[in-house]
Amino acid sequence: METKQKIKEVLVDLLKVKPEELKDAVALQESIGVDSTEIVESVIALEKAFGVKLSPKEITKSSSIDDIAIVVQSKLKA
Amino acid sequence: MDKIAVTGIGIVSPSGINKRQFWANIKAGRSFVKEITRFDASKYPSRIAGQIDELNKYSNISERLLKKIDAFSHMALIASELALQDAGIDIKNEDPNLVGIFLGNAIGGWLYAETELRDLYIEGREGVSPYMASAWFPAAPQGQVSIYYGIKGFSKTVVADRASSLMALGYARKVLNKNKLNMILSGGMEAPVTPYALLCCSTYGALSKNNARPQEAYRPFDKKRDGCVIGEGAGIVVMESIARAAKRGVKPLAYISGYAATCDGLDRINCASDGKELARAITLALADAKTNAGEIDYISLDGLALDLWDNSELSAIKSIFKERAKDIPLSCPKSMFGNLLGASGVVDMITTILAMENNLIPVTLNLEEPSVKGFNYVTKEAKEHKINKALVISRGRGGINSVLVVEK
Repeated sequence: METKQKIKEVLVDLLKVKPEELKDAVALQESIGVDSTEIVESVIALEKAFGVKLSPKEITKSSSIDDIAIVVQSKLKA
Repeated sequence: MDKIAVTGIGIVSPSGINKRQFWANIKAGRSFVKEITRFDASKYPSRIAGQIDELNKYSNISERLLKKIDAFSHMALIASELALQDAGIDIKNEDPNLVGIFLGNAIGGWLYAETELRDLYIEGREGVSPYMASAWFPAAPQGQVSIYYGIKGFSKTVVADRASSLMALGYARKVLNKNKLNMILSGGMEAPVTPYALLCCSTYGALSKNNARPQEAYRPFDKKRDGCVIGEGAGIVVMESIARAAKRGVKPLAYISGYAATCDGLDRINCASDGKELARAITLALADAKTNAGEIDYISLDGLALDLWDNSELSAIKSIFKERAKDIPLSCPKSMFGNLLGASGVVDMITTILAMENNLIPVTLNLEEPSVKGFNYVTKEAKEHKINKALVISRGRGGINSVLVVEK
């Protein structure tokens, strides 16, 4: 829960979208129309926020907040 | 080639955003050249400019988009919106494949680029915004306006130093004459009030050093001239065929009837001192407009405020207009708000169209004692004068000469 909230905060701050636009189970492309450059930027911002190494292959336009949380949590446990 | 109608004007300038505010200040002869406060310019030889404060106030652009673009794209987006509103066009009702964009820019979006390059050297690769690549380059505003309105027709960005936007207008007219597009958004934008861009402009050697008196610094054709002052902004107009404007029930603001460009081909920086190639461009533009020197009522001057450029401009005018050269009103209104470099030509055309509409020629600010006598310079106050046809001259580094004929 805490991870998901932090991911949302990072994306809201970075992409200048409204918090309510981000849906836990909906792909970013569907919820906020994210583009490929925004994904690159998001990967870098999430890496900094969580102190983990992420790949643009793991977080894509089709990822939802739930998907990103799973990837981030798995890296934090590793 | 046929005349093309101008049916909408969008202007974003130090003298005002939207044509009413702009014209009110131009008509009154107010200067908008000030000390640069956006960054510490105290060590620059020229530290004055025409600046636009609070651009956000005039914009509906989302924060999400603003963080991806440079100020020059922001200015182009505002100018496009104003031009479409003025023309009474809702782009959603247009066939996107038949709408084009032709813009001119000289230097690119340096405020964005400088910030990101600084971060590259401080933070490394990861400090650089991925939008850097699409924010900086001169065609970025064309791309952003295309995306914003979903425009998909044939489009171009012209990079030809200060002549860029007048050249873009000339190309737009040519393309519309081929009947491949229904309408074009054309003009230009420039945002040179940044530390690096100002440095480059300073190196060019064309900027006034009269920092003590900013409002008196830009004095084209005056004996005490020492160069121009940079300014930022955008000018974009809606262009369409006369038939289409008539079908829409719209009265055109003006017509672009002729255009030509030549190059001195002599030096990397300077123009030729004889003005012969500029004179040839004037001759070609007049022929293109199926008119002659006897029918021109007003000339909007390039006026870089350097001896070589101003004097060669006057030589060209004298060689074409001969005895009439002493009678035709000449003016360089950009002396009020600065030289918008790649966007200067379109802003000069917009000023000329507004002068035509109001039968009033704005002044060349600070032209107190002409360096070359024998011309009808409009100085001190705006002059009532009926204009049916006018020439707009826009020149660029290395002797690019572009001339446009605009008529009522």
